[in-house]
Amino acid sequence: MNPAAQEILAVSNLTRIFGGLTAVRDVTMTVQAGEVVGLIGPNGAGKTTLFNMLGGSLPPSSGSIRFAGTDCTGAPSHVMGQRGVSRTFQITSLFPSLTALDNVRSAAYRTTRAGWGASILRSAAYRREEAELRRKALEILAFCDLDHRAETLADAMSYGEQRRLEIAIALAAEPRLLLLDEPAAGMNPEEGQRLVEMIRRIRARGVTVLLVEHHMRVVASVCDRLVVLDHGVKIAEGPPAQVLNDPEVIRVYLGREPVDA
Amino acid sequence: MDFTVFAQQIANGLVNGMAYVLIATGLTLVFGVLRIVNFAHGEFYMLGAYITYFVGTLFGLDYIAAAAISAVVVAGLGVAANKLIFWPLRRDHEFTILLSSLGLALLIANGGELLFGADPKYVESPFADEVLDIGTVTLTQQRVLVFAAAVVALVAVYLFIRYSRFGKMMRATAQNPDGAALTGINIGLVHTYTFALACGLAALSGALVGPTVMIFPTIGNWAVLKGFIVVIMGGLGSVTGALFAGLLLGVIESLGGGYISLGFMEAIGYAMIIAVLLWRPNGLFSTARGLR
Amino acid sequence: MNTNSHGYSVGQPLAIAGGIAALAVLPFLAGNAYLEHLLVLWMLYALLALSLNIVIGYLGELTFGHAAFVGVGAYTSAILSTQLGLPPLLGLPLAGLVAAGFGLVIGYAALRVVGPQFAILTLGFGAILFTITNHWVDLTRGPMGITDIPPMAIGPLAFDSARPTYYLVLALVLATAYLCHALVSSRTGRAFLAVRENAPLAASLGINVFHTKLMGFVAATAIAGIGGAIYAHYIRVITPDIMGVHNVAALIIVVIIGGRGTILGPILGALVYIGLLESLRVAGPLRMVIFAALLTGTVVFLPGGLISLWQRWRNAHRSENNLPATPTGLPPTGLPSTEGGAK
Repeated sequence: MNPAAQEILAVSNLTRIFGGLTAVRDVTMTVQAGEVVGLIGPNGAGKTTLFNMLGGSLPPSSGSIRFAGTDCTGAPSHVMGQRGVSRTFQITSLFPSLTALDNVRSAAYRTTRAGWGASILRSAAYRREEAELRRKALEILAFCDLDHRAETLADAMSYGEQRRLEIAIALAAEPRLLLLDEPAAGMNPEEGQRLVEMIRRIRARGVTVLLVEHHMRVVASVCDRLVVLDHGVKIAEGPPAQVLNDPEVIRVYLGREPVDA
Repeated sequence: MDFTVFAQQIANGLVNGMAYVLIATGLTLVFGVLRIVNFAHGEFYMLGAYITYFVGTLFGLDYIAAAAISAVVVAGLGVAANKLIFWPLRRDHEFTILLSSLGLALLIANGGELLFGADPKYVESPFADEVLDIGTVTLTQQRVLVFAAAVVALVAVYLFIRYSRFGKMMRATAQNPDGAALTGINIGLVHTYTFALACGLAALSGALVGPTVMIFPTIGNWAVLKGFIVVIMGGLGSVTGALFAGLLLGVIESLGGGYISLGFMEAIGYAMIIAVLLWRPNGLFSTARGLR
Repeated sequence: MNTNSHGYSVGQPLAIAGGIAALAVLPFLAGNAYLEHLLVLWMLYALLALSLNIVIGYLGELTFGHAAFVGVGAYTSAILSTQLGLPPLLGLPLAGLVAAGFGLVIGYAALRVVGPQFAILTLGFGAILFTITNHWVDLTRGPMGITDIPPMAIGPLAFDSARPTYYLVLALVLATAYLCHALVSSRTGRAFLAVRENAPLAASLGINVFHTKLMGFVAATAIAGIGGAIYAHYIRVITPDIMGVHNVAALIIVVIIGGRGTILGPILGALVYIGLLESLRVAGPLRMVIFAALLTGTVVFLPGGLISLWQRWRNAHRSENNLPATPTGLPPTGLPSTEGGAK
């Protein structure tokens, strides 16, 4: 797929203040359609707060967010979801007591139309949509290597399977922009490599990805560009090779914690 | 407006309010420290009244002794309830804990009806008949006792939480249970003591209010509803909030009941809670984590 | 694999038809009027429990206000038929509408919060409705209640005894069961479950959490109102107690013990409730103690309710015969019931 050179996300002077604490200060950045951009920075840098604003669960204190040309500043989560911004959360991003298949089918909400009424009447449109949905859901599960676990309850799955399911859920919504919040957390190097592969395949499907991550190896392998936050301020931006060798970035990390690579 | 009547209503309201505060303090402690919403809390109020009654009538002890014993016994029952239900379920989904506390409430309320009979009882107290005149206001001694004893109890609880070693453990657990555990605080013990304290306070309220009303096994429902109204108005976890909210509720009910109608008096509490929850979903003294 | 595109086993429609047929002949097997009366009560509680299950089971919110909506429906139809002479048949849908109206207003206010705060709000609202019903004597005759309520009638057919009423309520139960089934196998129902399981995630997927909950709440209250009206025209007397603590507890007990989040669960729960209530009549207040113990025990040890026992048996049976097992918690309706998230 040839990514059009268009801006899918434009964040302008975004700021979020909590009482006395400025978690995100005047951050400006853009994401082009089809890119994989990594948002990195030490703990407490404001990455999750930024994500929360992009996803709509937190209104900005000031600044603006434009998604696919439309101003989305302060729009609530479900509106962002309907517009095509999907996100995963640091703590469970799945529906625990549903099967994997039902997790994915539920996630496809914005891509379906036939509601309760159509279901009561068992209309042709309903039956067609349900069959198509089941097919698509199984396909997404297969994409995430989970098709053999379709009928397993989500909270009965292994940790690695659950993380893959979270991505399957995010994909099922057919987002245009996918916000991944620390997808590699707790993964060993082999799982991390699998994740990198999956993100590449996601990009190949035409989805733009913005991810927050601490695993530098993952970040370096899959991201086209990195944006570095420290104390709520953007301090660097550019291709991984350049950013990861930036002395300011190194100082910010090494001064606090070893780089997890 | 007749000032005497007005003052009387206020006085009545404050007394009722204090009883609510006692109930609500326990409820808000259990939530603030343990993050548990205990629908069975009102039942401990009921048990407080009934055990006072039975200790008085079966063993012939005087009212004060009976009330004290009742508070201790019910505190023990609270510890048992924690041991059997809340402690084992502490890691479960909030919904599960809510439902099991409901089950416990039904168990105690209906068990009470089974054991005590559904007919009303009258708790004997030497203070119930004598009145005290404070200025233009007339109150039975019992009602003055309710207020005074409640104040003493609350001050004691406040000092305990603020200054005792255990109080500090409770506050630490309230702010950060995992962190508290990591510093060596025995969370199980915190659970136990918090329940003992909370249920003891509820029982005390029941023992104090008992002689002013007829008691039924179903008064727990009434008590827990009042408790929740006060706790939510004051903010879950806020002890000071419970104090203000409880007195406020008591006074508004009394004024409403006196000047508008009795039916109105009942509904006013519910209307207030609804108004508060709609305006400020976290209560008037909205709470960050912790006990205040 | 003997399943069709929806994942149902092929034998399922047959089993359902068999079940319905069995339910249809029950009054004839009952033999006496008393048992037929119990069957009516069973079906009534099943209907009310199915409606409550929409909120507790599918939306995952505990509500103490449901009995109040039953009462609203009962009083609406009773007042319309006794004071305005309205035919009970018209009172039925009106009861549902009025109850739904209350549900809309109360839901709109209460569903802004979740969990214990929501539960307490519904308790408060329910208490207000009870108080109003008890005190507004001009409208409701207060504690004396409304008596001489005319029986339901459809044209010349009068439902003035247990047997015809049973079939009426059975029809409503089956209709509601179908509605619930249609719900969970639709995108709307999937949104309900998503909101129950993980509301922030559901929102990020485009689901308007508040609207979803409100929709479910109103649907539940509408059905509750209709059930209340039927109750009024069957028992012919209603008092404010219909909204009282006992009923509040009973409905919750039925749903939880039977199995929340399923369709058969509430029906089974109602059967157990009415069955125990009547068969243990001699035990008096001990019955409620037993129910309370069952409720607590179910919550702690068997979160899926009694119906989950049957499901486990069925899965074990399937594995013996090398048939594919449905995961524990999958009722015949195709979507899983909740295990309550208990760990």
